Amino acid sequence: MTTRDLVLVALFAALTAVLGLVPPITVGFLPVPITLQSLGPMLAGLMLGPVRGGLALALFVLLVALGMPVLAGGRGGFGILLGPTGGFIVGWIVGAIVVGALAKRFARTGAWRAPDLANAALACVVGGIGAVYAMGVPWLSVVTGMGLGPAAASMVVFLPGDAIKVVVAVMVARGVQRAYPIALR
Amino acid sequence: MPETAPRATQTSPPESMSIVLDHVGVTLQERPVLRGIDLVLEERRVGIVGLNGSGKSTLARLLNGLVLPDEGTVRVHGLDTRTQARAVRRAVGFVFQNPENQIVFPIVGEDVAFGLRNIGLPKRDAEARALAALAAHGLDGLADRPAHTLSGGEKQLLALVSVLVMEPRIVVLDEPTTALDLRNRNRIRAAIAGLAQTAIVVTHDLDLVSDFERVLVVDEGRIVADDAPEAALRWYRENRA
Amino acid sequence: MSPSLYVPGDGPLHRLPAGAKLAALAGLGVALFLVSSPIVLGAAALAAAGVVAATGVRLARLRGALAGVAIVVAIVVAANAWLAGWREAAAVGARIVALVLLGYALTLTTRTSDLLATLERLLAPLERIGLADAGKVALAVALVLRFVPELMKQAADIREARAARGLRVGPVALVVPMIVRVLRSADAIAEAIDARAYPPCKSPPTSAIPSSTGPGSADHDNA
Repeated sequence: MTTRDLVLVALFAALTAVLGLVPPITVGFLPVPITLQSLGPMLAGLMLGPVRGGLALALFVLLVALGMPVLAGGRGGFGILLGPTGGFIVGWIVGAIVVGALAKRFARTGAWRAPDLANAALACVVGGIGAVYAMGVPWLSVVTGMGLGPAAASMVVFLPGDAIKVVVAVMVARGVQRAYPIALR
Repeated sequence: MPETAPRATQTSPPESMSIVLDHVGVTLQERPVLRGIDLVLEERRVGIVGLNGSGKSTLARLLNGLVLPDEGTVRVHGLDTRTQARAVRRAVGFVFQNPENQIVFPIVGEDVAFGLRNIGLPKRDAEARALAALAAHGLDGLADRPAHTLSGGEKQLLALVSVLVMEPRIVVLDEPTTALDLRNRNRIRAAIAGLAQTAIVVTHDLDLVSDFERVLVVDEGRIVADDAPEAALRWYRENRA
Repeated sequence: MSPSLYVPGDGPLHRLPAGAKLAALAGLGVALFLVSSPIVLGAAALAAAGVVAATGVRLARLRGALAGVAIVVAIVVAANAWLAGWREAAAVGARIVALVLLGYALTLTTRTSDLLATLERLLAPLERIGLADAGKVALAVALVLRFVPELMKQAADIREARAARGLRVGPVALVVPMIVRVLRSADAIAEAIDARAYPPCKSPPTSAIPSSTGPGSADHDNA
């Protein structure tokens, strides 16, 4: 890993923190405002690839554990990781790795033709939503004593927001890569 | 420790205290940036001036191995920047144009200590020397401040202190006063004047180098004037302004 | 952003070494999942609240953090009461409260630098077999803290520039320029890190300073 890689990893960990600090964005047809923070793993995966993207989110989770108020709403600390939503936060690491691996394999980010856009979006759905929930839901179920079924069912309300974030992530990645291409690693 | 080691470094002959560029060429992204540079620098104060894109920043970056020559060799105190990069980085400190990009750590004191930790100083010693260096340059009391809250002038001074604390034998400064107001420009100017070591300053600020020993004018990748400041700057004003 | 949730103080929890607190937290975390009695768990939650109170931190400082937890606990307790009965709901709610409060007790009383030092010690065995590099982790953490205010400033500048032209800022229009601007500085920052003799040498510090006489050292001359 070069010094530049290290700087990029830190930059995307910081970006994930800042996405939680910018005011939540209201979308017309949704009842609740959505925070942009869960864009972090999608963007890190799409723009840095699995290794550096995964490290960026691991670094972010480390900062949460160290007590920095980097989660949406200025939260942080070991308590959050132990709480009901801890699995989703740790799941972001896996999410970034999966998004990065899929994007690297199937989406030629740089060309950004229609199939690349679709594949990048699919990578975000599988990694940024699927993998994150695969970690988060069982954790939620264990901590709260809810069954897996009800825990999973309670996630449905978040899916519209997640779908919007997939679109935003792909558009941001395309916009950034046009101005400043980075090879996925 | 071999007994002779310290003595050998202390009595290093003056002729090795020089920077020698031997037929150096640099090509960046298929564009020749520097061509056929032959240069021996022995003066304690050298200024480098030239238009934007003339290649002067690349010339500065050659001196501590941030840019390696595509042709020819660069030797600093006899060290080849290509093969002895580590030793060269230790001997030559580099102060960048934009202090924002040079300040690595979030807290002022930590940033000054960073380079010292890299060259192997234990944490406690590094912190003590960082405090002393900050005090020596009028930044005492700022050690615990977040670096991003400093003023522009303080940031540039911090960038300089972070380099000086490593006790390089040569300091290269790339446009150190470009973004500063008059008062802070004078602070940096005084700091450069007070340097004990060799200083090589790339700048658009012609006053800054007017009392130096030697000034180089770089144009389209070549050194087109090389003289005492008065003559070199006169040439630059008449031909390139 | 304040750099940490740490609140200075000199109570017993502040004085306890970070490693001991982390070990205790890990142990208690496991223990809380082995117990299912609502009475024991309720006592644990009260004890955890007592621990947080013992840190001497004013409640106001915690209000924001605890409000979020309270909402989650309320939802979880309600869901459990409906699905599994009040006994189970009380146990689960008390367990979450205890866990989260103990986590905050650690965070509130331990400096980030102390937690980092503990992390470096924990990484030391991995480092010896070449699987981790504590120095790199510390540098990466520092870089994040450095980038956050910079990104925040970029976000504010972009909003301002857009507002000046009467435009609203959607997420794409905000995040793209924010990333591009900071990416442009990433190369310069990497260059600056390399210029200051990074990565660190592993040789003993005696050989660290080259002939500190040389042409003399600025700070010694002025001191």
